[in-house]
Amino acid sequence: MCGVNGIYAYHYAANPVDRAELFRTRDHMAARGPDASGEYFSQEGRVGLGHRRLSIIDLSENGAQPMASRDGRFVVTFNGEIYNYRELRAALEHKGFVFHSQSDTEILLHLYADKGEAMVHELRGMFAFAIWDAARGVMFLARDPYGIKPLYYSDDGWTFRFGSQVKALLAGGAISRDPDSAGAVGFYLFGSVPEPFTTCRSIRALPAGATLLVDCTGAKAPQRYYSIAEVYRDALSTPRKNTDDLRIALLDSVRSHLVADVPVGAFLSSGIDSGALVGLMRDAGAPNIQTVTIGFEEFRGKLEDETSLAAEVARLYETRHTTRFVSRAEFEADLPRILDAMDQPTIDGVNTWFVSKAARELGLKVAISGLGGDELFGGYPSFRDLPRWAQAFSLPSRIPFLGLGTRKLLAPLTGFFGLSPKAAGMLEYGGSYAGAYLLRRGLYMPWELEAVLDRETIVQGLRRLAPLRLIDAELRSAPSNPFARVATLESTLYMRNQLLRDTDWASMAHSLEVRTPLADRTLLARLSRIKLNENEGKVALASAPSRPLPEAIIDRPKTGFTTPIDGWLRSSPSFRHVPIRAAETPQWARIWSRMVGAEASLNRHALENLATL
Amino acid sequence: MHMLALLTDGLGGEGGIGRYNRHLLSALAHSNSIAGITVLPRFAAQADVDGKIDHLAPSSGRLAWCLRALRLALTSRPDIIFCGHIYAAPLAAALAQARSAKLWLQVHGIEAWERPRRPIIDAVERADLVTSVSRYTRRRLLEWSNVDPASVRVLPNTLTGGYAPRPRRPDLVARWGLEGKKTILTVGRLASGERYKGHDRIIAALPAVAARVPSVVYLVVGSGDDMERLRQLSLDVNICDRVIFAGQVPQDELADHFALADVFAMPSAGEGFGIVFLEAAACGLPIIGGDRDGSVDALADGRIGRLVDPLSQEQIVAALIAALNGGQKPFPEAAQRFAFQNFASHVDALLQNFVR
Repeated sequence: MCGVNGIYAYHYAANPVDRAELFRTRDHMAARGPDASGEYFSQEGRVGLGHRRLSIIDLSENGAQPMASRDGRFVVTFNGEIYNYRELRAALEHKGFVFHSQSDTEILLHLYADKGEAMVHELRGMFAFAIWDAARGVMFLARDPYGIKPLYYSDDGWTFRFGSQVKALLAGGAISRDPDSAGAVGFYLFGSVPEPFTTCRSIRALPAGATLLVDCTGAKAPQRYYSIAEVYRDALSTPRKNTDDLRIALLDSVRSHLVADVPVGAFLSSGIDSGALVGLMRDAGAPNIQTVTIGFEEFRGKLEDETSLAAEVARLYETRHTTRFVSRAEFEADLPRILDAMDQPTIDGVNTWFVSKAARELGLKVAISGLGGDELFGGYPSFRDLPRWAQAFSLPSRIPFLGLGTRKLLAPLTGFFGLSPKAAGMLEYGGSYAGAYLLRRGLYMPWELEAVLDRETIVQGLRRLAPLRLIDAELRSAPSNPFARVATLESTLYMRNQLLRDTDWASMAHSLEVRTPLADRTLLARLSRIKLNENEGKVALASAPSRPLPEAIIDRPKTGFTTPIDGWLRSSPSFRHVPIRAAETPQWARIWSRMVGAEASLNRHALENLATL
Repeated sequence: MHMLALLTDGLGGEGGIGRYNRHLLSALAHSNSIAGITVLPRFAAQADVDGKIDHLAPSSGRLAWCLRALRLALTSRPDIIFCGHIYAAPLAAALAQARSAKLWLQVHGIEAWERPRRPIIDAVERADLVTSVSRYTRRRLLEWSNVDPASVRVLPNTLTGGYAPRPRRPDLVARWGLEGKKTILTVGRLASGERYKGHDRIIAALPAVAARVPSVVYLVVGSGDDMERLRQLSLDVNICDRVIFAGQVPQDELADHFALADVFAMPSAGEGFGIVFLEAAACGLPIIGGDRDGSVDALADGRIGRLVDPLSQEQIVAALIAALNGGQKPFPEAAQRFAFQNFASHVDALLQNFVR
């Protein structure tokens, strides 16, 4: 778990690598890797790799990066964890490869030497890495199947640059800051910038589950090697397994995610996902687990309060438990640092910021999170709504101009009737999974964007982003099974672009590695073959630990992880700079988005216009 | 593979695009992957070309050229259609689609900077490979098109023609009255449509430069319909005795004219690349160029010459004074990165990677 970056001056006309630039980008990520830093420069000066280290496996100097093979042909810089590295090591040793460290990094060097680019199919874990192959003059980059670890790149036509963060790449000083209209539109539509776009036109995300090759002609198009839709499709064509296998698969994932040479703690809420994981950690033999829960004074004694039920779970599994209360004063004091650490604009991540801060205060370097449980077990309302809407509006949405006309007619009236602005778009968008998903997850609808962006940005951004096509692309290989379709969309859009990305920046800002056993390719391959009826999944998860979760946890109405930020924001000094029309009463996510958007300079013109109202 | 090349300027042309086409198609003809190239130009004369290249006579009429292109696409069964100018992209894209051929589009400078008409945008987005002479032109093209950035590659102009430092020719020194003078040189067309090149900004800077370098003169090589305006400007700022309009000089005398100068300056804001910077640099001159366009590539981010904001009079004056006083070292060898050998092997690599 670290920060990585690199420069490859691949074009014959390009200047050699600017060492100072490499260091500026690398050291912008000091929080990602406070334990050590390293660099590599090729002899002829065309390649530079940087690394900031957070030591978790093989804490010795042997695990230092960038790491080169003994013959110097391969050099790797790697962010993440390979959970099956011991199995891979045994197999490689059997083939005659000799290891010089106990680190999972060295696996990557030998595996690449053995299998080339096909190596990615062998890896279980979260990763973003680059391998320089000096003999072929090729740089190979890869990102894990779920997109847990970030990887961004820029190719200006002469020089290729990559890094773990957009802001770090910009700190290098050589990349254009020209804004990307698709990034701005994507942020306001989804609440996060959908990959591969970023807020900068010159920087793109390497998509989750994709590899990238850079040779003397530059960066090729990314190649997808993993598709969640295909996992569901393949699972439906194989014999179903029974629910007994569920516990085995879950325990296996949790056990794999405990591999570390430092203690592994856990985030604990009052939900099933994190509670069950702590129970399974105990079953896997994790000693003396440190758990941490965030609480808010404002919620004491209310339904939203997580602390007492979380404490009950902690008692059940005999963990060392800490409840950390966050006050409004702390939120306001941290807000500038939150906005600074936020790599790409997003409407989430504040909760992860505080729970990570609390974990780090307790001395933890690694924490387990229940992220991914709702996507895996159908925990969102979208699992119910999307199939219903897609069916109900399928026919009317095909009648030309009916949806558009209805929306134009209803859009001005929704506020008057106290309806969500999205209601106006049900006929126009609701008839397909992609449209229904946009309605369900959208922050602003396309026709509302003029409240936050200028017209030119909207027109160009919508054309570049093509939001419905972007959503539909994830379903390309998906089966017709409604659960599989929604799970695919939630995992590849909301979880990837929002939850995982936010978890990365918010935890790394505190030098904390967060592991997600419920977002794991091996687990998905197994669970997708188990037939579960509606709501059965979460109950099965709650029962998976040898000591099942108490009924109070299972029966608790789902609230999500809520915070009192809405109230704090509305009376915060920063909020006074967010222009809101007098007639507007936007939900807090929209207020937050405008504050974040202003910080990222996405919506300068629109805000100036609003400020004059 | 057989290639059909649809060009505006044929291989005999001496303009920037004509020379680029000649270098590119020569490099392609050297590639083992290319069996033959049929060239259909709109303008310019036949050139002495590689045996693999069938250089057809030009058709300057647009319709006639289009019809010939259509007939060639139908009869010659090309594997690759190369389109040498963005304005012909819709035709080239349609022919490529009809013949299931790969489409390779070349873009140069300002013609690809602003958002073009819809049919051109669509055609660009259908190209298998777009080559741009500079990173700047590539960036501008990516601003208005949704083409995959991975398929837009940079293929800079290449340096050929034996440019190297040489002694001053006394007859030329005498012809232009440069004895005992410190000479600023610009070589480029003086076209009213290309005022971005910055001749006027150098003329405007001359009084301030002359105050510090009394023997300074400005030698302007090139001709065009903007010459009178520039002449008038030099009168206006009262330095007409320091500006020498040499007009167009023969190609074989160009290197000798570079040798006359103490600094080559062209603070342009509209270069696709600016091959003339490389020619001047190879002749051993300190170079001053603009930092807002493709000149940044020709000057290799400042390694081959000094980059100034072309719109800043202050920076132009300071750079000229420094260069004339010997404060800026020339780097003739740095321009060799753009040698034809590098260009040709890159063309071959692009061919292998994108259109094979």
